[in-house]
Formats: sequence, C-alpha cells, structure tokens
Amino acid sequence: MENAVREKAKGLLTSGEVKVVIGWGWNRNGTRTTPVFITRPEDAGRLVWNPLCVNNLSVYLTRKFKDIQALGRPAIVAKGCDIKNIAVLVSEAQVKREDVYIIGVTCDGVVYRQELWKGELTPNIMPTKCHNCDVRNPHIADCVIGDRSGFVPPEAPAGMVFDRIKALDAKESAQRWEFWIKEFSRCVKCYACRQVCSLCYCERCITEKNMPQWIETSAHPRGNLSWNLTRAMHLAGRCTFCGECERACPVNIPLNLVNQKLITVVKDAFDYRSGYDASAHPPMIVFSPEDKENFIK
Amino acid sequence: MNNLYLPHLATIEDIYEEAPDVRSFRLVFKDERLRDTFDFKAGQFALYSAFGLGESTFCIASPPTRKGYVQCTFRRTGRVTGGLAEMSIGDVIGFRGPYGNHFPVDDWKGRNMVFIAGGIGLPPVRSLIWNVLDRREDFGNITIVYGARTAADLVYKNELKHWAGMGDVRVVETVDPGGETPDWKGKIGFVPTVLEEAAPSSKDAVAVTCGPPIMIKFVINALGKLGFADGSIYTTLENRMKCGIGKCGRCNVGDIYICKEGPVYTAAEVKRMYNDF
Amino acid sequence: MADKFLKRENLGRLIDSVRNGGARFVAPAIDARQAVYRAISGADEVTWDYILPRNSFKDYLFPQTEVVAEYSIGEGGVEIRGRELSPKDTVVFGSRPCEAASLASLRSVFTWDSVDEFYTAREDKTTVVTVACTNGDEACFCTTVGLSPESVAGSDVMLRETADGDFSVTAITGRGRGFLSAHSAAFEDSGSGSAQKPLFVPEKIEGVDISRIKERLARKEHYDDPVWAGLTRKCIGCGACTFVCPTCHCFDIIDEGTAFEGERRKNWDACQFDSFTLHASGHNPRDAQFKRWRNRFMCKFNFYPNKFNSRGCVGCGRCIRVCPVRLDITEVMEEMSR
Ligand SMILES: Cc1cc2nc3c(=O)[nH]c(=O)nc-3n(C[C@H](O)[C@H](O)[C@H](O)COP(=O)(O)OP(=O)(O)OC[C@H]3O[C@@H](n4cnc5c(N)ncnc54)[C@H](O)[C@@H]3O)c2cc1C
Ligand code: SF4
Ligand code: SF4
Ligand code: SF4
Ligand code: SF4
Ligand code: FES
Repeated sequence: MENAVREKAKGLLTSGEVKVVIGWGWNRNGTRTTPVFITRPEDAGRLVWNPLCVNNLSVYLTRKFKDIQALGRPAIVAKGCDIKNIAVLVSEAQVKREDVYIIGVTCDGVVYRQELWKGELTPNIMPTKCHNCDVRNPHIADCVIGDRSGFVPPEAPAGMVFDRIKALDAKESAQRWEFWIKEFSRCVKCYACRQVCSLCYCERCITEKNMPQWIETSAHPRGNLSWNLTRAMHLAGRCTFCGECERACPVNIPLNLVNQKLITVVKDAFDYRSGYDASAHPPMIVFSPEDKENFIK
Repeated sequence: MNNLYLPHLATIEDIYEEAPDVRSFRLVFKDERLRDTFDFKAGQFALYSAFGLGESTFCIASPPTRKGYVQCTFRRTGRVTGGLAEMSIGDVIGFRGPYGNHFPVDDWKGRNMVFIAGGIGLPPVRSLIWNVLDRREDFGNITIVYGARTAADLVYKNELKHWAGMGDVRVVETVDPGGETPDWKGKIGFVPTVLEEAAPSSKDAVAVTCGPPIMIKFVINALGKLGFADGSIYTTLENRMKCGIGKCGRCNVGDIYICKEGPVYTAAEVKRMYNDF
Repeated sequence: MADKFLKRENLGRLIDSVRNGGARFVAPAIDARQAVYRAISGADEVTWDYILPRNSFKDYLFPQTEVVAEYSIGEGGVEIRGRELSPKDTVVFGSRPCEAASLASLRSVFTWDSVDEFYTAREDKTTVVTVACTNGDEACFCTTVGLSPESVAGSDVMLRETADGDFSVTAITGRGRGFLSAHSAAFEDSGSGSAQKPLFVPEKIEGVDISRIKERLARKEHYDDPVWAGLTRKCIGCGACTFVCPTCHCFDIIDEGTAFEGERRKNWDACQFDSFTLHASGHNPRDAQFKRWRNRFMCKFNFYPNKFNSRGCVGCGRCIRVCPVRLDITEVMEEMSR
C-alpha cells in the first residue's frame, strides 16, 4: 500500500498534474513519522503510510502556509478523518476542491500519540475517533489507495472520550467548572492547539487582536479560561474531532472532551455533523427554517 | 530591589497637533529632582506608557541641550498610541529611558550637516537638528531635506518655517506627487529624488536620514551618488521593541540587539547586517 | 569521591528538612500523565520515572507570567509601584545535567549590560540538585553539544544512582556544600559500597559539527540560503518548543487591568509567533515561518555563543519531544554542519 502511494505521487509529479505532494515520511532514525513535502518524482520514495501517520496534514492547505502554496498545486495524502477537515475547508471557501488532489488512504486506525507505538496497533493505543470511525474508506478523494475496510463503527459511540464526557455530565455544574478550571490552568499559551488545527485558519486570531484586548495574553487561570473557551466556541459546528489539538497540547489538556461535547450538542440541536459534505454549510453560520431552536423563529 | 521595568511618571505639560493622527507631548517628570538631572543624547529612545494599555517605543524628539522637559512625537497606530492620543494636558504617563546609543555629535564638530527625513522619521532628527543649532558655531553648512506623503502630513510645520527663516539653514520641503495643496510652495517629488536635485555637497559632510525603510534604502543610494561614503551616512533602525534593554529578545537583527547597540547605525554598518529588518 | 550518600527512602527526610527550613522543594511529579517540576510537600509526590520533566525548571526562575509593577489611577493621581521580590529559598531536586547547564545561559542574558533582578533574585536563592541520567530516549543529545550525563555545570549537588537504588552525593559548589551540611540528617556518611548504576550516554550524532554550524551561521549569506525554507517548511509556528526550552528567554511586557488599576506583567513570548516582530506599520522583518525558525536556531548557535558567551542549546531534546510535527533540531544541525 505504501508503494502504491509512492507510485501515485511519482505519477502526479511526473505528469506535472501537481507540483508538491504533502504526505508523511520518516524522521532521521525511522522511529517517528513527520510531514514531508515531495516536489521531485525521484523523492516519492520518502513517503510512508502506517499507523504512526497521525498528523492531519490538511493544515498545510490553509492560507497561513504561503510558501507551500507558492510551490504550486498540491496533492495531499489523507486518511478519511483528515479529509473531513478538507471538506470543511472547501465548504468554508478556504480551499477550492479542484485546487487540491486528494490521495485518500484506507485506514485501520492510528496511534493516539507516536510515543505509544511499540510495533503493533492495538485498540488501547488508538484514539476514540478511530474506534468510531465511519470514514476508514475515504469519503471524498481523487483516488483511494488500499483495500476496502470492512469496519463497522459501533451503534453507540464508544471509547475513552465518550466515557469521560458521560462521567463529567453526571457531575454537578460546579464540579464540572472546577474540573475545567484545573485542566485549563495548565495551559501555557503556546497556541500549538490553534496552529496545528486546519480549521483555525484565521490570519489574525482573536488572541492577537488588542483593540480591545478580547483575551488576556497572560497564561494565568483567567487568561487561559477565556482562550480555551473562545477557541472551543469558534470551532463549534466545525470541528471534526480529528484530535490534533489534544495531540499537540504539550500539557495534556483533554481538548477532545470539549470538542466532542460540542459536536454532540450541535448534532442534537441541528442534526449536523461537519466534514461529510463539502457543499454543506456549518450550522452556526446559516439560518434555516428547519432549525430546532425556537428562539430563532 | 532595582526594578528595570519600573517607569518614571511624567506629566503632559503641553500637546501639539503636528499632523493628522500625529501629535507631540511636552513631558515633565513628576519627580522634581529628575527634572534637573535627567540627561540623554540625541538619537536615544524611551518607552512611554499609557497605564492599562501598555508601552510604546518612541525616540526622544527634544534636544539634550534643552533641559527640564522631554518631548515625544507619535503617530496613532494601535493600542498604546491610541490610548496616548486620547490623553489631555495634565495627564500622567510612564517613561522608561533613555535607552540605546546616540548620534556621535561630538565627533562631527566642524563638519557640514545634511539631514534627510520622511514622514514620522523627523522626530529623531529634530532632536539632532536642535542639538546642532544650539551649538551652531561647532558646525558648518546645514541642509534639511524633509518630505511627507501630503502637505498635511508634514510634522513640525512651524519649526520648519523657523529653520528656513534662520538664514544659515537650507530647508528643502517636498511632498509626494498628488500630495500638494494649491498653495504649496515646496517641491513635489519623492525624498530621494529631491535630495539628488538639491545635491548638498558631500565634502566634509555628514548625512543623517530617518524614515520608512524603503525611503532610507533609496536615500542611501542617492547619497552614494552625491559622493557620501557609507561611513558618513547615519540612520536609525526601528525594529519592534518591548524591553528596550536587551532582555526580551525581540529587536535583534542577527546577533545585534538594536535596542542596545542601536538604534543609530552608519550605512556601512547596516550593509554588514543580516537581512532581518 | 562522593561526599555523602542518600538512601532513597530518606528523600522524605530531606524534603522535610528543606521545608522546615522555610524553603520550597521543587521536584518532578506526575501531573496529567506527565512528569513536571512542581513544588511538592512529601516524598510520595515525587516521581522517579522520568527522563526529563516536561517543563524546564526555568519556570521557577523566570515564571511564565509575573507582575513587575502595579498602577492605580485615582483622586490622588497616578501611582506606580514596582513589585518587590523576596523569593523563597528553592531547592530544585532531580534536575538533569543538560538542564542545569542552561542556568549560565539564562543568567548571561539577564545580566549582560543591566541586571534583571526578577531573574537573579530567584536564581541566587536556588540550589540545584542534579541526578545524573541513568535513562534517556532518542531525543537526548547532550553529547552532541559537548555535555554529558556527568557534566556538573550549573549543579550545586550531583547525585549518582547506585546499583541498589540509593545515591552517592557530591557537592559541586559552596552552596552545595552548605546544602549538605544544613540537611546532614538526611544523608549518610558512607554508602552501601555497591557500584554505581551505568549512566545513559546518548550517542554523539555523527553528522553534527558545532563549530561548522557556528562558522556557517556567521556568514551573512546563509540568511538567504534556500535550504532554510525547505528544512522548516513543516513548522506550524506554535510556541511549544520555546516554552519547554530551558534557554529560551523571550518575553513580552503587557498591561492588564482597568483605567483605574491594574498591573504590568512580564509574560513569556516566542520568536515562533508570527506577530512577534510585526511592526505597527504592517512591516514584518520575519514574515515567513522559516525566518522565525531560523531566528530560533541562530539564537541557539550564534547569538548565545557570540553575544553572551554561553551555550544556546544544552541538548535536552525537549523541543523535539514536544513538537507536534516532529521538527527535529538535530536534523537541522546536521544540515547546517555541511
Ligand atoms: C527605536 C524606535 C523609535 C521609534 N520612534 C517613534 C517615534 O518617534 N514616533 C512614532 O510615532 N513611532 C515611533 N516608533 C514606532 C512605535 O514604537 C510604534 O508605532 C508604536 O509602538 C505602536 O504602538 P501601538 O501600541 O499603538 O500599536 P499596536 O499595533 O497596538 O502594537 C501593540 C504592541 O506592539 C508594539 N509595536 C508595534 N509596532 C511597533 C514598532 N514598529 N516598533 C516597536 N514596537 C511596536 C507596541 O509597543 C505595542 O506594545 C519607534 C519605534 C522604535 C523601535
Ligand atoms: S479516525 Fe478513521 S481514518 Fe482517522 S485514523 Fe482513525 S481509523 Fe483512520
Ligand atoms: S496547546 Fe495546550 S498549552 Fe498550548 S495553548 Fe493550546 S491548550 Fe494551551
Ligand atoms: S533547543 Fe531544544 S534541545 Fe536545545 S536546549 Fe532548547 S529545548 Fe533543549
Ligand atoms: S518547531 Fe515545532 S514546536 Fe517549534 S514552533 Fe515549529 S511546530 Fe511548534
Ligand atoms: S527590545 Fe528587548 S531585547 Fe531589544
């Protein structure tokens, strides 16, 4: 399968259909995968595909990466879950569907964090998203590489994130508040969560707006709370639960809990799940007479 | 504890509207002792604060030869400058400084002086101009070439008139094409071009230029054509600064910390620097 | 020769002795599934299962956010009060040799030309007790930057683990000797005599040559070398690497509060952020991520050694471990050694 990805990339580069293939490659020691940008057909052999390929490379399709755009039309190697983000980018007019060639790869799951890899993919090292994945066969792509997965996601979503949300929901709101204050208090304002997220594509993030200063820049509990809550709100109805922010967070804040909770709320309120349809529009920015919310009508 | 970040308090004694969105403050320190002892040199800068909004870097626009007050001139561009612009006479602001190096005025004794500035680049040069004028006998011919986008954008309009009327100072004013008013008497054209036309002699002369980076670049070229050596051309680099004292790691161009070793440099020094400004 | 011995089970006694003396005891503890330096109150909080804590102990010398002054504006006019710092004595226990070596670097920045007492007042009150590394991971590269698990620079006391899990203790500085005598009840005069546990010594990375890197960075032309853009293309521009780095020292100065009262703070900042050098005019000298990354690399291998005469990178590998896109500084070092 890895070879098929390489062949595809080589073909696309040789024909000139794309100028760069964004994919995963090995680090120097061959122990971790890392994003690579292949511009010459003869380098296509550097591409890899395995359960360590956790990064959601769709972030490199956003406008922040001007020097990648300068390379020319990209192809991107993408798992189904990565493609969800591309779908959102297309629906929000950040990327034109025809401007990117999607090499979809069928997937049996990845590790939650690369450090956990001991040579074998076992369910306990897979993130919640993989346990419930309905896009192991990429849903939007220009070509799909790999054998069809026969995986059927469980009826009721399962996995650590859902368990923890259930446990939190069962608590008093004061306790929940306390839980989040404690979690967010660790935040160091490194903005890795924002930078790694392809849906955080604002060129001037609200944290950088200082007239007025919406969010205090200090990493004290007050500043952290406003940052983390604001970011969550800006992703409501858009986040696809790809999990990159939580993976990137150096202080292990369980951002997936926030994200999945919002996803569930949006699904219940608007019957909408982002990332499945590139022509759909996120519910937070459209009004529809079918909206369940009475206050809108 | 010696607190490097603790500003002095200064009262706004007067405010001058210089141009749209540009104003000057005449500041006196609240601490009376400091009023008499405060000393600085032309070319140095300070951090001015609007409490609650933050600090901003401006040069000291008054000359060191005038004691008892300092003046700054700033353009309203953002949070801090916006806050300062709202202030009135009698309000109190913070002042940390003076910081940075300075123009080597003493080394220039006996030389002819050419000052070239664009837009809001005149304030640091103003300090120097008055410094030189207050010691007029130490210097030869004085030429000032100053331009702005429009006639309204010229700062220190009265002082320009005053200097021009002194008799022994040549003042050439210019505005960018389209920026003139019907009664505009100065030149029309970009500063570097006007400078070349004015053609001050490079013999025994020192040139000082401040303004937008792109203007500085072309002015240095023009001065070269007029025969000025890179070592006789001085300018200031205005990188973004926070601490002003070589700690915060923000203002560097390569391993040169502009807030400590600058902001004043010769064109020769600038040309040796990393391409990072 | 070791000066003293510390039995593992006596760590609690040491902690009590330090805390009873009014000092703070900082050591690696598990928080949110990671080892982090924390002020702790008892031996049961301390973890031994770590390579390096996630954070650098610079957190305790140069906090992420700190008040430097307070202002108030009222009837009586404007008042500004500088924050007076009287830091507690602090013992950092369980440092690693690489990290201890970074103290001289931070100090060099905060004391060249003028002295930032917000840093020095804390460092002067800090005793660094280092435990030489008996385990490590592939991100460790101290030996490549001229350090080793036996380096003592920056440490006041060095601990070496013995085969049976206790520690031989050596005072390195006067402060270290003072520490040993002040808390002598926690230490033994002679040890079990068992051999020292072998140290974890990372292999020197073959392709890296620090002097070549310095040479290359000193040449102005390298700034425009297209290799930079390619090497760092994947960088997403977060601040994770700088915030965990023991030598990164950049900060911002901001005001927080109302028109009536508030405080001026010194907050960590990162040269990796795109607004770091952005001018009010919109001009940005480092307007692409590779330029910002180049600055970070220059800072470690050019500014620190040239300007501050100290070490920019101690090879702790934290930036490698924490980077969401696995941008490995040693891979860049290798390229820059060519
Ligand atoms: C040595 C030096 C001398 C200067 N002299 C003058 C002068 O005499 N008159 C004048 O009008 N301007 C001068 N500037 C530019 C001036 O500092 C900025 O325009 C001003 O700080 C913008 O502040 P702000 O908070 O209103 O803008 P915002 O955009 O809100 O900026 C927010 C923060 O960024 C900082 N900042 C933004 N741009 C700059 C910049 N270009 N340089 C430094 N810090 C910046 C500010 O300090 C502020 O804390 C000088 C800059 C330097 C470095
Ligand atoms: S969520 Fe699905 S597509 Fe994504 S990594 Fe897991 S199994 Fe693969
Ligand atoms: S990645 Fe984590 S620590 Fe960094 S800003 Fe986001 S939540 Fe805070
Ligand atoms: S640059 Fe990286 S390896 Fe070097 S000291 Fe900083 S965090 Fe450690
Ligand atoms: S090198 Fe890695 S950790 Fe550092 S800014 Fe870039 S992406 Fe973030
Ligand atoms: S302004 Fe802080 S180091 Fe120069």
